[in-house]
Amino acid sequence: MRIVVGDPEYCVACRDCAYACAFAHGGGFDRESSRIAVSFSPEDRVCLPLTCMHCAEAWCMEVCPADAISRDLETGAVVIHEERCAGCKMCLLACPLGAVGFDAAAGVARKCDLCDGDPACVRSCTVDVLQYCEPGEMADSRRESLEARLRAVYRKGEGGS
Amino acid sequence: MEAPPQTVQTLCRMCDDRCGIDVRLEDGRVVDITGNPAHPWNLGRLCVKARAAVDTVNHPDRLLHPLKRHGDDWEEIPLEQALDEIAERLRAIIEKDGARSVSVWKGEAIGFAQQEDLARRFIHAIGSPNYLSNDSMCWVGRFTGYKLVLGAWPNVDIENARCVVMWGANPPHSRPNLTQRITKARRRGATLVVVDPRLSAVARRADLHVAPLPGTDGALALGLFHELVESGSYDRSLVERTTVGFDDLAGYAREFTPDVVERETGIPPATLSEMARLLRAADGRVALYPGNGLEHHENGVDNIRAILSLNALLGSLGKVGGSLFAPPLPLRDLTLYDERPLTELRPLGADRFPVLYEVRRECHTMTALNGILTGAPYPLRAMLLAGANPALTNPNSHRVVEALTKLDLLVVRDLFMTETAALADYVLPAASFLERTEVHTHHEIGVVTLTAGVGRHPEVQTEYEFWRDMAHRLGAAEYFPWEDDRELNRWLLEPTAISLEELEAHPEGVTYSSPPADAEIERFPTPSGKVEFVSKHLAELGYDALPKYRRPAYIETPDPAYPFVLMTGARSLLFGHSRSHNISRFAEEAPAPGLEMHPDDASVLGLADGDTARVTTRIGSVEAPVRVVATNELPRHCLQLTHGWAGVNANALTHDDRFDRISGFPLMKSVEARVEPVGRTG
Repeated sequence: MRIVVGDPEYCVACRDCAYACAFAHGGGFDRESSRIAVSFSPEDRVCLPLTCMHCAEAWCMEVCPADAISRDLETGAVVIHEERCAGCKMCLLACPLGAVGFDAAAGVARKCDLCDGDPACVRSCTVDVLQYCEPGEMADSRRESLEARLRAVYRKGEGGS
Repeated sequence: MEAPPQTVQTLCRMCDDRCGIDVRLEDGRVVDITGNPAHPWNLGRLCVKARAAVDTVNHPDRLLHPLKRHGDDWEEIPLEQALDEIAERLRAIIEKDGARSVSVWKGEAIGFAQQEDLARRFIHAIGSPNYLSNDSMCWVGRFTGYKLVLGAWPNVDIENARCVVMWGANPPHSRPNLTQRITKARRRGATLVVVDPRLSAVARRADLHVAPLPGTDGALALGLFHELVESGSYDRSLVERTTVGFDDLAGYAREFTPDVVERETGIPPATLSEMARLLRAADGRVALYPGNGLEHHENGVDNIRAILSLNALLGSLGKVGGSLFAPPLPLRDLTLYDERPLTELRPLGADRFPVLYEVRRECHTMTALNGILTGAPYPLRAMLLAGANPALTNPNSHRVVEALTKLDLLVVRDLFMTETAALADYVLPAASFLERTEVHTHHEIGVVTLTAGVGRHPEVQTEYEFWRDMAHRLGAAEYFPWEDDRELNRWLLEPTAISLEELEAHPEGVTYSSPPADAEIERFPTPSGKVEFVSKHLAELGYDALPKYRRPAYIETPDPAYPFVLMTGARSLLFGHSRSHNISRFAEEAPAPGLEMHPDDASVLGLADGDTARVTTRIGSVEAPVRVVATNELPRHCLQLTHGWAGVNANALTHDDRFDRISGFPLMKSVEARVEPVGRTG
């Protein structure tokens, strides 16, 4: 299955993705309600886009007493069914990534649902960091970038002139 | 008329990126906008501003009928009556004070492509040379630098570069999808150097962030020039063949030793030498991209000239991954500068800023506004203003409002009752970019795209329709013969190999240029035909031939009453200048700009993040919420306040009386200022 990944090497924390996610799910631009979080630490100059990885063994799903979390058969996304959610917050405790949030107004847990296979965060990432891809593709892409950087380091020029 | 399709492909024009979009319509009403994966500029990716276009076109406050002022009230009048009355009043003014007492002013709120040249055409067609626009404080400063040094503004080939240099530009906020290209280059191993006093979004990922004090970029560029010459790392024979004034500039740059550069800019010698190393290591594949941050200083153009001169030393001109000079799409030119130059009528500002007028036929808005108040050099009595909001975007807002109020006739075309429209005698509803069909070129990738024109309103004219109807009423019908926008587009495209029908069939754009290739440039379009390290032309006009570095006034003559230096105008992701602030879901997220401040300065002043501070310059005073940034996000004694908000208006602080000597650009990014705490909010 495909998931949303973003290589911190390229993220600039513009947070366009967070606006787009908030808008796609609630119609506003309040980034607080976004399902993707982009942290930025100025002193370290590190930008980290993090969202649900839709774990193969999804602890949020296993722990849910209301049976409100299930896997979407088409996209493979681990999805919260708000109408069944009891608001017990066990999934927030269970998630090791901190990817499950809580909508206090609605009294339900919320998390990334991969937008039915067309994630709004990826479509809004004008930096071309976020990708909706197989986990293996992420590794390929990182390796290709590393190779390119190593090429830049070891380049001897075109030669022959 | 057949029903429009449910999804229409066109371009976004919320900023100059002009991304391909899919517009979803229900019963002719725009209901959603998403990225068009088929358009080669953005490849489906789209920033949040594009979604604001849906809210903009459907906004309950959208102007849909012409309004006429009666004292403090507005009367809704039919379009034909409005056009007739405006023409009648223009005729009377022209009869009394001559055509040059009438001006037009182009802005960006309704997007523009042909809009600009239509306004230029109209004003010359009726016999006045006074075309004004936001460009006399944005873009033309860099254009002037390019014209003087290279003769033209090349395509900076970011995607194929080995070293990308963003100098005073922050694409993630200003042109979001340009950032894709930086990432592509970096994925291929390119290094990224960002020169900006602020740790901007793009600087967060830079291999090297170089933070000169505001307005000292020229000293940095000359220091780099010196370092590249000293290390012998340039192609001597190429420089001899393609440049003029090398010995003069190299001799002058010798003064800019690493110690001098550090004293002037605050940049340590190790950073300077690391930047030079990264530039050298790219073997000429250096994409040097100058941004708007360089323009709003009293020494802006000479700083820009010094920066652009580096291209010739680095060998990046005509090189893939450098700066490329591809021929533009040969569209027909709508302007009348050949047929009716009208220079004998003394275009406003052309006497004082001849280069500004000469390179771009741009009058000087600050001179024009001053002229309204003083009557000098001659009376300016009427203005037709399309999609501009100078009451918030020109420097010294208070004086702008005073001047515009004094006009005998102010006509404003816009989507909303803006701060500027509120001063008008007539307000005409304008068609948004979504409602017009225009020819757009993305010169960076050599692609031309026709916009679709969807969701028209009956009394809301396109730019062409308005200027045509006005010209027909003022005896200049011969210059506006096309039946509608579509026929105009057909005429524009005639000299090209691309037909209107082809563009209509390919809303994802049509490629007009061949892929980039290395080519030594035989002749640059400068007076000498070469890269001009020194400009004989500038010398003849009384300026320095060399790009001499002049210290910003806040350094040269410090005033203890104003111990800070204020930058304004850093871009924000959600808003394009003064636009979109009336969209509630945007305003809720960002109700006011923050006054950015170094934590040590905040602590000295006893200010904490979120407190209110009063910032005062020689022009005015504004209260703003303080945003305390991290120690590496802004140098000490520097402030930044983004413009465009009516409540906290940065341009109440900027200068309309101090200019770059060459371009006439106003001082907006190195303004002497002081800060006082006002009190805690909440």
